[in-house]
Amino acid sequence: MLSRAARPALRAGAAVSSRAVAPSAATFATLREIEGRLKSIRNIEKITKTMKIVASTKLTRAQRGMTESRKYGETSNEVYKSAETAAVEGEGKKKLVVVCSSDKGLCGGIHSGLSRFIRRQALTDAKFDLVILGEKCRSQLSRTNAKNIVLSFSGVGKDIPTFADAQAIADQIVQLPGEYSEVEIVYNKFINATSYEPATIEAFSEESLANSPNFSTFEVEESQLSNLREYGLANSLYWALAEGHACEISARRNAMDNASKNAGEMINKYQILFNRTRQAVITSELVEIITGATASEDM
Amino acid sequence: MTAAWKAAGLTYNRYLAVAARVVRRSLKDDKRLAAERRGEMDLKFTKWTNGKQGEPQSVADANAAAYTERANASS
Repeated sequence: MLSRAARPALRAGAAVSSRAVAPSAATFATLREIEGRLKSIRNIEKITKTMKIVASTKLTRAQRGMTESRKYGETSNEVYKSAETAAVEGEGKKKLVVVCSSDKGLCGGIHSGLSRFIRRQALTDAKFDLVILGEKCRSQLSRTNAKNIVLSFSGVGKDIPTFADAQAIADQIVQLPGEYSEVEIVYNKFINATSYEPATIEAFSEESLANSPNFSTFEVEESQLSNLREYGLANSLYWALAEGHACEISARRNAMDNASKNAGEMINKYQILFNRTRQAVITSELVEIITGATASEDM
Repeated sequence: MTAAWKAAGLTYNRYLAVAARVVRRSLKDDKRLAAERRGEMDLKFTKWTNGKQGEPQSVADANAAAYTERANASS
């Protein structure tokens, strides 16, 4: 066999000759090869089917959690809406972006969708710090935006996120050094079972809460503002985590559905190929025997 | 006037978590098991400085350390 790397000029010729020789010379070998490949595709199909079933059963629970948490988060944000809170535009103040992904892959493009959203934002306004929940987005964003990352959490998304998770994360975020004008939580918004898009929830700083136009109607004491801020952050995080989790599960269901379908198609194709090749081998053996027999008869 | 939990260095979220835990523990056994699963938290976090990843730590431990530190500072 010619070394292809060493003699690029001969590559075309070598490729043609090997292609011409291969089918007739290798029928016996490929029969076994095809069998092996069929077996491995069947195993993969089994795995993807099982994962799909697991994801389907998890999906209903995750969706229930999502609708509950969404209502919860929206109610909590109602305060800010009626107070007409807006982020304070301050000089030298950074924005904190919290990305809600999870630890597990095999669920289509939902993690890279979030990463792309962050990268696009980084192009227009590079002054923000990143807090990343989940391993997947961490590894993706550490390649491009490593300088912006201040915290990353792992262990997210094993099960339906609990409010305790959100509270612990909120506590860590509050402890971060440095003043942030606002906290923006990026998560996957669930539109329907097959589509979702990156969206943001805003959580405000104490200063912007105090400066909001209609805030005095709530009659909240000044000293309680930091509590409200922490609690609001935990509420929004919980909402984002639960909705992101539901998106991930439904995306995994779809991805596994497609994978099983593709595996099924491949199995059909290989089964036909396998049968044809076996038939060809039998025919050629018969031809050999018959020609051998007629030749010895003549003698 | 600052509340007792604030003087003890807890954040509002921690205060809520402790209160929720007490309520969960006072439930009847069958309900309690389901409810306590909602209170579990097992996260790890990593601090980053200048694009470099630090050592992973448990969030629960780090939070507890922060509370005691603040309690000592305020008392």
